[in-house]
Amino acid sequence: MRYLELFLQTFFISIILFCASNSFSQTKIGSGQISGNFMFDGMFYMPDSVIGAAETDDKVRANTYLNLLYTNGGFSAGLRYEFYLYPLVDFEKIGYKGQGITNFFGEYKNDYIEVTAGTFYEQFGNGFALRAYEERTLGIDNSLLGVKIHAKPYNGIHLKGVWGIERKNFDFDYLSRRDFVRGLDAEINFGEMISAMGEKGFTAAIGGSFVSKYEKADDPVLKLPANVALWAARLQFGFKGFRIEAEYAGKINDPNYTNGYIYKNGVAFLATASYSMKGLGVSASFVRTDNMDFRSQRDIISSTNLLSINNIPVITKTYSYKLLGDYGYSTQPNGQIGVQAQVNYKIPKKTKIGGKYGTDISIAYSRMHDIERKWGEPSDSTGSYKGTDGYKSGFFKFGKNLLYQDIGIEISRKFTQRWRLELAYNYITYNLELLQGHTGEPVVHAHNVAADLLCNINTKHALRLELQHLYTKQDCGSSLYAMLEYSIAPHWFFSVGDEWNYGNPEKGHRTHFFNVAASYVIKTTRISLNYGKTKDGMLCIGGVCREVPAAYGVGLSVTTSF
Amino acid sequence: MKKSVFLILCCLILSLSYSQDNKEKKYPVLPSVEIKTIDGKAFDTKEIKNDGNPMIISLWATTCRPCIQELKAISDVYDDWIEETGVKLYAISVDDSKTASRVAPFVNGAAWDYVVLQDVNSDFKRAMNVVDIPFLCILNGNGEIVWQHTSYAPGGENEVYEELLKWKKK
Repeated sequence: MRYLELFLQTFFISIILFCASNSFSQTKIGSGQISGNFMFDGMFYMPDSVIGAAETDDKVRANTYLNLLYTNGGFSAGLRYEFYLYPLVDFEKIGYKGQGITNFFGEYKNDYIEVTAGTFYEQFGNGFALRAYEERTLGIDNSLLGVKIHAKPYNGIHLKGVWGIERKNFDFDYLSRRDFVRGLDAEINFGEMISAMGEKGFTAAIGGSFVSKYEKADDPVLKLPANVALWAARLQFGFKGFRIEAEYAGKINDPNYTNGYIYKNGVAFLATASYSMKGLGVSASFVRTDNMDFRSQRDIISSTNLLSINNIPVITKTYSYKLLGDYGYSTQPNGQIGVQAQVNYKIPKKTKIGGKYGTDISIAYSRMHDIERKWGEPSDSTGSYKGTDGYKSGFFKFGKNLLYQDIGIEISRKFTQRWRLELAYNYITYNLELLQGHTGEPVVHAHNVAADLLCNINTKHALRLELQHLYTKQDCGSSLYAMLEYSIAPHWFFSVGDEWNYGNPEKGHRTHFFNVAASYVIKTTRISLNYGKTKDGMLCIGGVCREVPAAYGVGLSVTTSF
Repeated sequence: MKKSVFLILCCLILSLSYSQDNKEKKYPVLPSVEIKTIDGKAFDTKEIKNDGNPMIISLWATTCRPCIQELKAISDVYDDWIEETGVKLYAISVDDSKTASRVAPFVNGAAWDYVVLQDVNSDFKRAMNVVDIPFLCILNGNGEIVWQHTSYAPGGENEVYEELLKWKKK
């Protein structure tokens, strides 16, 4: 009975939201217009002891939201309703559970100023100092509730100011919150200011940010700072195809749960140089971060970016190959140092090697280490450094522990109107112990080969075959993956896939994770149905990862925008 | 609490569906959002223009494979499309700060002739109500959104082309 009730409730709400989205579609109020989007992502869970999909309390679960946006000239307003009362199991696991109007804002803008009151997103520079953002598929929403002002007093001068309280999943008790964030950012873009510079192919910009977090401090033992400041400075210079960008940031005493309550200052530095011309792109980056986890609440314990004020981007190349999902690098704001280099080259078309349509080649290398740490004296007999300055670390010193390394090559070539082939090889070294906290697990060395073959049967029908082999002796061992997709443009997609963990050291776990899916797309509406098993592992998007539990069941998802 | 929220929502929906007036077909205009050009200059999306000719806006990312497949497929026929319809394609990357600095080398490496812009914190994507990429829309010569589509299947570019022909400058 309970399932039925849950199902009906979820279904009912989804229908209301979906109807709402349809009735709002293209609605005019005065001279303004209403637009928005809607998503329903539901699943019927079935237990499976072999893959470890546990029996869940509620078999029918769904994530649902509706966004509405009203615009009228320079004025706009919006709201979002989220219904995650019985969310998908992976969202429940990270505490993204609840329902309510999570976003609402009003905004006014003209050529010189933009003022937002309510829920907003914002990023200063690369996000070292402040990044209020959302990654809906990971259950991350670090929006701020408050006021944002963006002024452009003169061509090329950008001034931003923000004040707000950060969203904490579905905890709407803002009145009892004892923390808030405020920040300022200024940027001078010389290329915009002096048009003659732009005409000669020069670009140049400098910028700086200052962000301060307030959180009431009443610890009986430690003298905790109520205000924690973070500043950042950045520059960007370009001449024709050449470009250099750098940002440096510092954080002043922020004892918190993630760093073991030490008072050490934090540092982050990122520099990227690139050169590109038609058919060729080369880039190289260096990053170092030390004690830069910066959250609205110092005591928060979270496996995700919950309450993070800033975001340190990862520089390693991200892959969308299925079997590499488990070994995607996740950013380590409290300690990482590394390099990345990449070359993209297009062998020109109509040449002997390039073929009729040309051939794209991409080679990438990344290496990330832990930072070196020379610890001082512990503060007590248990060996804790709580309340001390913690450790010292040389700026350019690579720590002993390798966190991640990737050597990869991708080749893509269109042979004829009908055939296109993409091939990829990666050698990945992944530190399971330090990146996923699996104590005692050996470092994973994995070779991955992937092929993606596309056959355009005619102008509408196409068949795509994806094959992958991941070879490793560590962790769960080797796996094979095959997926066949048949598409009828522009509406239909059908696919069957299977991931086979044939090399699992435990014979009983050499499981098949099959999946069958169909989807229908019309304009901006997409409906998809799938049935199958998902392996437990890491879901990584944009260098942020989240653990996903094993699951087995039938899923239905509907997304639309209007 | 929950019930009252629903009641409010339902009332809102009802009132709005009654006030709906679709007698004259009016297309939504492109929102004005400040994003960046590939060399880091501010760019307001209201500046997306093409002398009365139609335009295509594609939202993509260097990490999204179907997006790249779609842009590659269009790239193969882009010269013909320009000749036939005078179209201009704006490829707006939603790569975040992690991969944003690799967008320029990537598009140059791929030798695309598109106008490439960067929406680093997804502000334009949000204003366009886009849930998933690849997302593609066609604007008529007045900058109104006349057609939208999400996802890409090989051959999908043909539908885009057919739609584009309807909005050719007369």
